Amino acid sequence: MKFDLNRVIRGRVWTFPDSVDTDAMNPYYKYTTMEDLKAHTMEAFRPEFPKEVKPGDIIVAGRNFGCGSHRPATVLREVGVAAILCESASRLFLRNTIALPMPIYVVPGINEVVKDGETLEIDYAAGRATNVKTGKSIAIPKFPPMIENIYESGGLPQLVKDRYLAETAQR
Amino acid sequence: MGQTIAEKILSRHNLAGTPVKAGDFLAARIDGAMCHYQFMDILRLGTEVGLPHGIPRIWDPERFYLLVDHHQPALAQAYADENVLIRKEAERLGVKYFHDAEPGIAHQMMPDYGYVRPGELVVGNDSHTIAYGALNAGSTGMTRADMLHVLTFGEAWFQVPQSAKVVLKGRQPNYPIAKDIILHLAGQYGDEFAQGMSIEFTGPLVPEMPIDSRMCLATHGVEVAAKFAFFEFDGKTREYLRTRTDKPYEPVAADADAVYAKTIELDVDTMPFAIAKPHNFGNWSPVDEVAGIKVDQALIGSCSNGRFEDIEIAARMLKGRKVAKGVRFVISPSSQQVYLDCMKAGLIQQLIESGAHVVTPGCGVCQPKVAYVSAGEVCITATTRNFKGRKGSLDAQLYLGGPLTVTAAAVAGRIVNPKEVFGEI
Repeated sequence: MKFDLNRVIRGRVWTFPDSVDTDAMNPYYKYTTMEDLKAHTMEAFRPEFPKEVKPGDIIVAGRNFGCGSHRPATVLREVGVAAILCESASRLFLRNTIALPMPIYVVPGINEVVKDGETLEIDYAAGRATNVKTGKSIAIPKFPPMIENIYESGGLPQLVKDRYLAETAQR
Repeated sequence: MGQTIAEKILSRHNLAGTPVKAGDFLAARIDGAMCHYQFMDILRLGTEVGLPHGIPRIWDPERFYLLVDHHQPALAQAYADENVLIRKEAERLGVKYFHDAEPGIAHQMMPDYGYVRPGELVVGNDSHTIAYGALNAGSTGMTRADMLHVLTFGEAWFQVPQSAKVVLKGRQPNYPIAKDIILHLAGQYGDEFAQGMSIEFTGPLVPEMPIDSRMCLATHGVEVAAKFAFFEFDGKTREYLRTRTDKPYEPVAADADAVYAKTIELDVDTMPFAIAKPHNFGNWSPVDEVAGIKVDQALIGSCSNGRFEDIEIAARMLKGRKVAKGVRFVISPSSQQVYLDCMKAGLIQQLIESGAHVVTPGCGVCQPKVAYVSAGEVCITATTRNFKGRKGSLDAQLYLGGPLTVTAAAVAGRIVNPKEVFGEI
């Protein structure tokens, strides 16, 4: 399934502090099923999050978001998170989120633009994220073509499949 | 303009054949791929999108290492069942380097078996894959989706990192200090001071620093958010590799005029013993400032501190002493090879005589798998991470420290400056 980065995303913001770790997102060693993970994701930081998050919501986090292990944020996608913006992101988490694919933007200063519970609009084509209530906005970065290609393919596993099938068909 | 180690290694592996510099994106050729016990999760990503067999092939059987590590023997039914599936897939794919009946941690077993060489570009589906930088390899953790790409094509995308030079000064004392160094750096400069960067550890201390200590520092590169964490190749590296690999390798050193985004200096002679307080790696404190906190459990193990030098210092300090009554002091060697070396040196006997537990090599002591703690309990640990809940209850308090500091706490029953307990150091 292709992923359109240019589709405008508008959603309720959940803020998180600095250094939120992947154990907190994905406490896999306590909960083995996706349903259980969905019921407990991020509770180490905000116990109400797994109960109240709705499809289309947006995470706005501090620095070093997704630090720790290589585990992906599949559970955040499964609870319906539409995009992540953060002051800085752990590199493995960044790779994982691109691979899913889920929009993730490293935007220093994003926490000055939007507060918890407010609505944010993300327009990748225009390169802006805007607080719908206050009108305040901030630039978001553009990905290089190599990364845009992963999104356009519908994620990295899909890209692997497309390339593998193309290569083996040529023989 | 000169090149850093990261720029040299990635230029060497650039499929486009051109030199790259910090900030550039590239598709890189991979020399070695490590997968561990979560191998089936990679395969399932392929299955979900309809890739034939999930993982259709291994691009080069000479370059793939599958170590079903973390929890052997199987800790739960689910692991036993998953391991059966892994064996079946390993056979289908013709995996040549396959370890599925051996407890240990991949990041110790990879060097133990000589699967990593200087100058190589090695990736694995585990964040602590960065460890092999201790042997001058460009190694780093990858996501499962990236590993699917690597296993199929032998390629991965990279952005060439900026580099941070960490200059270590002072003398190596007669006990390991690598953990104190990295906790100190994280405390002074933040737990992401090397976000996405390549660290080069250098300075007059490094030639004195044992390979085990270098591995601790390189492993912890990821705790300060780095992509790579390098040591230069030297006589100690050569000696370490001599009995482990007979394949050729080409070490990499930075050019004298290489450009660094930051340079940090640390004099270990003036560095206090370090603690990371709950629940962040960068929540640094000199040990004296938290002295007196009663501990229920003390741990030594994991890919950061389960090596010979970590266990040796614990055994050496426990000679003629006992673990404090009521304290659970649990030690897990990082591999069977390390365990055997400790056994031959008499360390295991000493640990047991002094009241420590020695448990099977693996990752369990660094996760809530082996040695849980309960609400309200305090655990001091020489393992990789002290995230909330890492040892079970979200209401337990987790402190990180070096193996000497952990042993001192185990003997005293409270967090204490090791020099107060061990007059001989």
